[in-house]
This record gives sequence, C-alpha cells and structure tokens, in this order.
Amino acid sequence: MATTASTTEVKNAIGQYLISKNVPPTQSWLRDFLPSIRLNTPIVALQKTALFRILCTDLRSSVSQASATVLPSDISAPEVKERRLDGAITVQVLDIEDIGHSRWSQFENLEAVERGEMTKGREIIRVADEETNTDPNHTATGETSSGPHKLLLQDAKGTKVYAFEMEAVSGVGVQQLFIGAKLVLRDALVARGVVMLQVRSVEVLGGKVEAWDKKWRGERKEMLKRKAGMQEGEGG
Amino acid sequence: MVTKVLCVAEKPSIAKAVANHLSGNQVTTRNVTGNVYTKNYEFHYNFATWGNCDVVMTSVAGHLLSHDFASQYRSWRSCDPSALFEATIDTFVEDGKKAISKNIEVQARYAQILYIWTDCDREGENIGSEIRDVATKINQRLRDPGKTVRARFSNIERAHIIDAARNPVPLDDAQANAVASRIELDLRIGASFTRNLTLSIQHMLQGEEKRVVSYGSCQFPTLGFVVERYFRVRNFLPEPFWTIKVMHEKEGIKVNFRWARNHLFDRMVVVILFERCLQAKTAKVTKVSTKPTSKWKPLPLTTVELQKCGSRFLRMDSHRVMQLAEQLYQRGWISYPRTETDQFDRGMDLRALVQKQIQGGPWRQFAQGLLDGGFSAPRNGRNNDKAHPPIHPVNFVDPSVLTHEEQRVHEFVVRRFLACCSQDARGSKTDISILYGMETFSTSGLVVLERNYLDVYPYDKWTSSQDLPNFREGEVFEPAEARIHDGKTSPPGYLTEPELISLMDVNGIGTDATMAEHIAKIKERAYVETRPRGRQPRRDDEDVSEEEQPFKPEVARGRGRGRTAGRGRGGRGGGNARGGGNSGVQEFIPTTLGVALIEGYENMGFEISLAKPFLRKEMELKMKAICEGRKTGREVVQETIDQYRAVYARTQQRLDVLRASVQRYVVAGNG
Repeated sequence: MATTASTTEVKNAIGQYLISKNVPPTQSWLRDFLPSIRLNTPIVALQKTALFRILCTDLRSSVSQASATVLPSDISAPEVKERRLDGAITVQVLDIEDIGHSRWSQFENLEAVERGEMTKGREIIRVADEETNTDPNHTATGETSSGPHKLLLQDAKGTKVYAFEMEAVSGVGVQQLFIGAKLVLRDALVARGVVMLQVRSVEVLGGKVEAWDKKWRGERKEMLKRKAGMQEGEGG
Repeated sequence: MVTKVLCVAEKPSIAKAVANHLSGNQVTTRNVTGNVYTKNYEFHYNFATWGNCDVVMTSVAGHLLSHDFASQYRSWRSCDPSALFEATIDTFVEDGKKAISKNIEVQARYAQILYIWTDCDREGENIGSEIRDVATKINQRLRDPGKTVRARFSNIERAHIIDAARNPVPLDDAQANAVASRIELDLRIGASFTRNLTLSIQHMLQGEEKRVVSYGSCQFPTLGFVVERYFRVRNFLPEPFWTIKVMHEKEGIKVNFRWARNHLFDRMVVVILFERCLQAKTAKVTKVSTKPTSKWKPLPLTTVELQKCGSRFLRMDSHRVMQLAEQLYQRGWISYPRTETDQFDRGMDLRALVQKQIQGGPWRQFAQGLLDGGFSAPRNGRNNDKAHPPIHPVNFVDPSVLTHEEQRVHEFVVRRFLACCSQDARGSKTDISILYGMETFSTSGLVVLERNYLDVYPYDKWTSSQDLPNFREGEVFEPAEARIHDGKTSPPGYLTEPELISLMDVNGIGTDATMAEHIAKIKERAYVETRPRGRQPRRDDEDVSEEEQPFKPEVARGRGRGRTAGRGRGGRGGGNARGGGNSGVQEFIPTTLGVALIEGYENMGFEISLAKPFLRKEMELKMKAICEGRKTGREVVQETIDQYRAVYARTQQRLDVLRASVQRYVVAGNG
C-alpha cells in the first residue's frame, strides 16, 4: 500500500539531505521549492532535484547563515600570516582567473576560437613546433594546460575572499567551473587572507548561476584585454 | 630492322647526361633549328626490351604547351570576370617553344618507341603527357600499348640511369591529369579573381601600385599568415610576471633552482608563496636522478626541411636554395631535391654512398669512421611519397667545380646525410628536485659523453652544462639565496621564412615543390617585404619570457627586396637570385597593400575566407585524390569551380568592405 509522504516529512527529508551536503537551506527557500515538486515522487529523486536546484542559486538567499557554515568576517585580513578554517564552509565562485598564462595569450586564444580556427576540419595551426629531440621520451606538447587558478569566493553571508589553487584540483578550470558554482572548504589553510586550495581541503559541488555565468563569459574577452593593458600595480 | 627510340628529357642538361651514360660517351650531337640550347644526341644502345636501337635523345624546356582563354575572352573588359569559370580554354604552343615542338614532331615521325625522361614528379608526368600529345599527332602508332613509356629515376648517377633505362614504366595519366586540373583551376580562378580584384580597387591605388593586383589561391593564405603574425606583434600587450628564484652554493658551485610553477601573473600570490618558503627556512631534496639521455640525429632530408635549414643555417631564401639544389641534381651530385620522403628504403646501399664521401672534403675522416664501425641505420620519418628517396649526395664532388653558393648547399646535404648514418649523441642528465616550503624547485645538469653525429653536423648544438654538486635524496639545506624576480612578456617576432614554410606545411598548403614559389610570388607582387632580423639572443633560462624569443632588432631596418618570381618549370635552372644573404634570418613584413587585401577579405566574413588556408588545402587534397585514382580531373575541376564561384558571388556583394580596407590601409596610410 503506497502512502503519499506528508509535506512535512518531505520537507525534513530534503532539508536533512541538503544539510548533509553542506548546503543547509533557509526556510524560505524550502518553502519556495516545495510547490514545484510532486509529493509522490520517490524521495531520493526529490533530494537530488533539490540539490541540483540549490546549487543554481545565490547562496546569500538560499543557504542558512549559521556561523558554522560561513567564513570569519575578517578572513581577508593580510596581517594574519596564517590561520586555519575549522569545519566545513560552503562558498560560491564569483570569479576565476588563470594566473599561469598571460591574459593576452588567453585573449588571443578566445579570438582564434571566434574566428573558427578551432572548429573541426577548419583548424589553423599557428605555431609550428620545432623538433626538440633532446630526449626520446619527450613529446611535443600541442596543448598547453590551464592554471593554476585564482578564484574569488563568497559565503552565504556575502563575505568575499580570494583563493589560490595550490595544487591542481579536479573540476577547477575556466571551462569546467561556472560562476555561481559551489565549493566546500574543509579545514582549509589561509595565508595572508588568501585561501590555499588543496585537494584534501576542497570539494567541488558544482552548479551555476545562469545569469552571472552568462554575463561573465560574455565580458571575459574584454576583461582579459583590459587587464593585459594595465601596468604593474593596477589590479592584479 | 633496328628499333628507333626517341628519348625526351625535361632539360638539356639531363638529356646530355643520360645520353652520355647510355652511350658510353659515344654520342653524335646535332643542333636543333631555331633553338640554341636544345640538342639532339644520337647514339646506339641495347635496351633489354627492344634489343639494339638507334636512339635520339633530346629535351624540352619545361612545359611544351601553354593554356589561355580563347581570344574573345582575353581582354580584361571583354567579359564579366565570372564568365571565365566556364570560358573555353585554348591549348597551344607558344612562339618560344615552337622550335622545340617542331623538333619533337620531326624526330617522332619515324620512331617506334617514345621514351619519356622528364623529372619524376607530377609536373614531369604532365610534361611527359604533353610530349606524348605532340608526338602522337604526327605518329599515331606511338599511342599503341607499350609504345610510349617513361623512365623512373631519382638522380643522374650512371649506374642508376642505366638501371632506370632497363625498366621503363607507363606514363602515370592520373598524375598528369591532376596537374592538368590544377593548371585549369589556377587559370580560371586566378584570372577571374585577379581581374575582379584589380578592376575593383585599381582606381584607388597610385603610382607604382597602380598595376595588376593579382590573386592566387595559394599566395593569399600564405600572405594571410604573414599579416596575421604582423597584427599579433603590433597588438601585443606586454604583461609583468613574477617568479621565485632559489640559489644554493655547494662544493664551490652555485646552483640555480627553477620554480616548478615557472612564473605567475599575480604578484600577491607569488609574495604569499614566497613568504611561506622563507618561513620553512630549509629545503629538502626530494629527487636525485641520473639517467642516460640522447640527442637524436636528424631525420633524412626532405624538401621542406632543406628549405627551412637553408633559411636558418645557410641564410639563403628558400627559392634560392631550391635553385641551387636543382643545379646540383642536374649535374649529378645530389638526388632529386623535390621529395616528401623522410625514410630511406631498406634496400638502399647507404654504406656505398658513405664510401663515396671518403675521397675528400672536411668530412672525409668522419665518413671513414662510419665505415669503420660507426655506421648506424638512419631514423625513419613518417612520410614516403613513393616517388623519390630523401635528398642525399650521390657522388663525390671536388668542391672546386662548384660555385661558392652551390658548395654551401652541397655541404649541407652531405653533412646531413652523414649525420643520418651516425649514432645519436649520448649524454647523462641529472635532475634534482627540492621541496622548499610547499613549493617545488628543480635543476638539471647535462654531461655530453659522446658527440657522435654532432661532429659532422655543426647545425645542432648540445653542450655540457656546468657540473652539479652532489646532492642526496632526503638531504636538507638552507638555501643561500631566495628571491622574487620579475619579468615581462614580449611579443613574438615577425614571421621568418622557416616559420612560414612550417606553417604552410603544417596547414597543408603548397606542396614541397611549390612552397618556395608561393613565397617568392608574394614578394614579387609587393604584398610583403623582407628584412633581416637581428641575431636573436640565446634563450637564457633565467629570463624565460612568455612568448617566443624576445625580439631585439639590432640590425638597422634594411629593405631586402624579394627576388624575382620562380619561373615554374619553364626556364633553365639558373636564375640570378641572390636571396636574403644577410647576417640575420629574413623576416616578413606585409606591405600596406598586403594588409589591405587580407583584412578586406577577412572582413567580408566568409565562413571560408580566401585568406585562410582551407580552400587551398582542400584543393591540394583533391589533387592527391586524382593521383590516387579516387577522383577524376573533371570532377575536381567542377567541384572546385562551384566552390569558388560561390565565394566570387559573395565577394561581389561585399566589395565595399574590400574598398574600405584599401582606403584605410593604403590610401590613408600613404598620407
């Protein structure tokens, strides 16, 4: 005999699930979410849907600001040589930059893509590799890897902090990580107000805030060009 | 009855050489009416296939036949340029070739066999078919099976020629057709677009520029590369970057460690990381590994590689290098210089070729060393055009019979060949990594143990680095010095000829035989200029910059004028080209007209712009398809015309864009 779960039961099950995923929902978000689902859908599916949805929202309005889940308000203080962030803190990505490559080269790559030079069958190879042959095991690299990356993160309260990808974290990259994506920081190291991302201290939950990401990507080319033209000391 | 054989070579020098080889220098030479250079060589020879023969060996001077539009289309204003896509094309013998053509007719009349000895490549096959056409007009029987044959040869060395003479093969009509298609396409597309282009913008040009503005389906993409690089250099914005340098002194040696992150473009992050290194105080050695390493000997020599090396090492432009190589081939010193093959056939007797080089020259002892046990099979590249082997020396030649320029090219070919037959250079490489804070730094040292091929091939460099002191894994030390160092990215240089050749090769435009010609064309048409680039500073690991080598023009901006265009296969080998024989490699700068044309066509916004290599690349691939029998000439001509006709129509619609570009770059630029 199938029973339709009550609204309260469903609300709790979803709430617990999201808490376990480190995105504890606010009551108002839960209230807004419930009307959009069918209560007789299996609970596991509802939980997954809820997670997917909340990962596409602005943390500041959807996630609880209990102090355990947010950054210390003085996180960016440069006078503090080093500190550790206890527990699990959820943040969203506001910006991501590849600081291993010049902005100008990233700009040129975007232009090449726009000109259609990366389209299959229409590729234009712009750099002719010279055979270096100093080592039989050396292969000429066609593609240069991306990174390391510097990110701008924001918690549910709105506090912002910079982060640097100290070691390569899978899922972090200009093409793979979207603006509004969520990360969970666990016992993370902070040096001079910059979070040092390491594999053991960050979990990439994913997600995206569509409006932010679209705007960011649309402006990226111009931003790269502008930043490339800046002199030392400005921005950066 | 003694069989009469008519042999026809592509050039007088080849005819003479082959005639002498086959006849054992027992040759009667007769003049040809109306042409001073061409001769008829009469001799007797026993061809295995036909027994004792009376042979006449003569030559043509490149293509016998010319093609042009029927007379009603010849004048530029006679029709809309687009009519040329379908207009009738006449094939005829031009005045300068009439005497040669007549000679063929006269000799063919009584011949039983027509034996073609044109160079063994596509053009040669096409010229061979022209010769056949002229001969069979007079003597139908030469069309019978087995009556017209051709020789397969890759050099003019005696034993090789005699062997070739014994093994005739049929003319490859597929290749001949591919060339015929190309000729037709170049004519139709070249003429229609050139007329259209010139008539559209001629009135905007002044003075010296008020002439034909020509279009060529290969020149434009080649020019496109030059212009694209020009803008990249001009628009470049330098950016500061920061790195951490660690130095330690041990056993009296200063060792510089290089940051694993190379450098970063964010100062704040680098400062933070640096502070953490200092905080750690000591560094720990995480890896010490010593491994054998080698520097590979070069691959067997192809045309593209010869052109690149000629540019880079001999400071000669590609066109000049090819002219000289052609001369060396005609005189029997090197093998056919138009080849894509970079692997030597297993059956080839390379030691015998090495043997020839012990007779003299600065490489004499090295060659002897190879024969005494140093010989090692050449590396195999990935390409084999199945027509010719890699370029190699065929005989020993006393340098005094060569001009100075020929000597330089010849020397390169010999050294390259001997290097191919040597061992790789061997060394030992030590890599050391340290962990300082959480950052990794490393250094490496090289000891060159055996130079091997490097001793005969001075064009490659490999030297031992300074000695490294001994480090042990797990060892901990306090670095003598650690500091932040900054630098700035710098622009790439303008395109050099080796780079341009590489780009053409890698993007599939131009064949080995034609690349140098296309480059010469864009110089001739004043779409680009060349000037010597200052000596590039040695890339110092301490100062790695983001882009390619830093560009520091030390040489005053000269105006190296390009040389005259290649004469295709028409003329004799010798031109007067001096090439860019200056101290630096030549770099290409587009002229205002060159920029205007490329930008104009690019801005028309085609998905397939004329300035991009795709169209030409597709044409080259289709030529290959004809040669391999996968497509017919007619099909390819039709498809390609249709493609270009569409492009032509769109060009017509957007002519205003082209004119705006000319206005901006040429007219305004000349103010």
